[in-house]
Amino acid sequence: MRPAVAVRGLTRSFGGHIAVHPTDLELAPGTLTGLLGPNGAGKSTLMRMMIGLVPPDAGSCTVAGAELRGDGTAVRRRVTYAPGELALYGELTARRHMAWFQRGRGRDALARGLELLRRLGLPLDRRVGAFSHGMKRLLLVAAALAPDVPVRILDEPTEGLDPSRRGEVLDLLRGEVARGTTILLSSHHLGEVEEGCDRVLFLREGALVDTDAADAARRRVRRALRLRFAGEPSPADLEEVFGNLAKVRVEGSLVHLLLPSEDPRPVLERIANAPTLPMPTSVRFGELSLTDLYGEIYGTEAV
Amino acid sequence: MGRSRTLILGSLGCFLLLEAMLVAAILFWPQFLDNMGMVRTFAKPIPVLSGMLDEIDTGGVFAYIAGQHFFKGCSTLGTAAAALFAAGAVAGEANRGTLEILLARPQSRARILAERYLAGLVAFALPVLLSSATIPALAAHVGESVSYRASLLGAVHETIFLAVIYGLAFLISTRASHPISVALGVIFTSVFCFAIYMVKGLSSYSPFRLADIPEFVEIQHAGRLDPSLTASMLAVVALLYLAAHLSFRKRLP
Repeated sequence: MRPAVAVRGLTRSFGGHIAVHPTDLELAPGTLTGLLGPNGAGKSTLMRMMIGLVPPDAGSCTVAGAELRGDGTAVRRRVTYAPGELALYGELTARRHMAWFQRGRGRDALARGLELLRRLGLPLDRRVGAFSHGMKRLLLVAAALAPDVPVRILDEPTEGLDPSRRGEVLDLLRGEVARGTTILLSSHHLGEVEEGCDRVLFLREGALVDTDAADAARRRVRRALRLRFAGEPSPADLEEVFGNLAKVRVEGSLVHLLLPSEDPRPVLERIANAPTLPMPTSVRFGELSLTDLYGEIYGTEAV
Repeated sequence: MGRSRTLILGSLGCFLLLEAMLVAAILFWPQFLDNMGMVRTFAKPIPVLSGMLDEIDTGGVFAYIAGQHFFKGCSTLGTAAAALFAAGAVAGEANRGTLEILLARPQSRARILAERYLAGLVAFALPVLLSSATIPALAAHVGESVSYRASLLGAVHETIFLAVIYGLAFLISTRASHPISVALGVIFTSVFCFAIYMVKGLSSYSPFRLADIPEFVEIQHAGRLDPSLTASMLAVVALLYLAAHLSFRKRLP
């Protein structure tokens, strides 16, 4: 099947700094792909290049059959984009702003946009300048979801939303994907990407982390055991219980163990039978948490 | 749209000011003639001003109106309007952070730029053209005759002159992110050029030489625009727009 989005060697530098290294990427039709990475990893630049907002230094991009040429107008006719920045025309009402967004997209897009605003509970006739951060975010998402296009690129569409609103947006996105739309979204909410996306991509220092490295990280996470104690356990007790059985790292009352296999039972038995070690207050094992994965890939502390 | 409202209100305000200045100037014409001797005395220390009075002496009411309306009114107020209208076109969007949503719409950058360019151009050209169209009626009110043709040709010449300043400010706007800095920079430069014009011996080095009383009197006498000067100014306008287009193509949101 022909991919909905095909990126080949897209790259961009600013001054001497390479913001996005040559990147290859394919998105299958009707899929929801999450793009993860710390601030400055190049997520927004990659997305902007894909729709012609930032001219790439090299490479090509095809979206729904339209090749990225010139200023990318042909691509932008087949894709909608919600920027990460919340800059809007504050003097316009939500209704007029939606009309502004949908200019050139047809009447159906405007009707759907207004319907989405109503569904999300946004006041149509209030000036956008009086909107809260979350309401502005919802307006941007609604504007990007309104037109009938095959691909949507959303830069942090749930940033600043409360959990229930975030859930509403994710439901909308899943509904779109069910209708065959391809969505690429970036996010810092690792849980929502883990829960909602068909595929997760990691961007680190302007380069996509290769699948093998990401899979290796996932496998390591599957062997991770975390124990939380009421107080800080003594190193001697930990040494006595775990010995060579697992790699141990202690952070106060939190003990991280990397087990030799994905079977935790031998270690759990030792904990249960250890006379000197207090009982842990919580045990987490092998959850495919993207938070853990994030820490594995980016070298940050898992939370 | 904020920019549309700004342009409409700005254009209306510009027209009202120009018209008020024009009405006052034309109604003052009879007293001006009566007091020409005294005015000459006041102007004597400034040779350029004396030269203007000579032009009015020989050119009559049209030279006076050209000095008051085109050279003084339009070239100062029009320059400010052109600079302000152009400055917000792209730099204004960048400044408020809305450039990204503007560029993300399914329109080519060429079209976005053309729409913005034309909107600003119309916003400063209309007040100049409309106020100039009232010159014959106002002149008749003080017993003078000025042809519509001369008034409108003068207005067209002034508009093309202002379009050069507008084009320059527009070009800078496509590269900048602070519209106030762009507008002030262009206005201060224009004031400097205007000041140069008032210095004897330096007048010919000022761009305002292209829109001074002798130029308008010449247009009135010829009954047409100066072809070479008009073509040159239009060429500069076109080049500035082309440069703005190239600059905007590479503009990052």
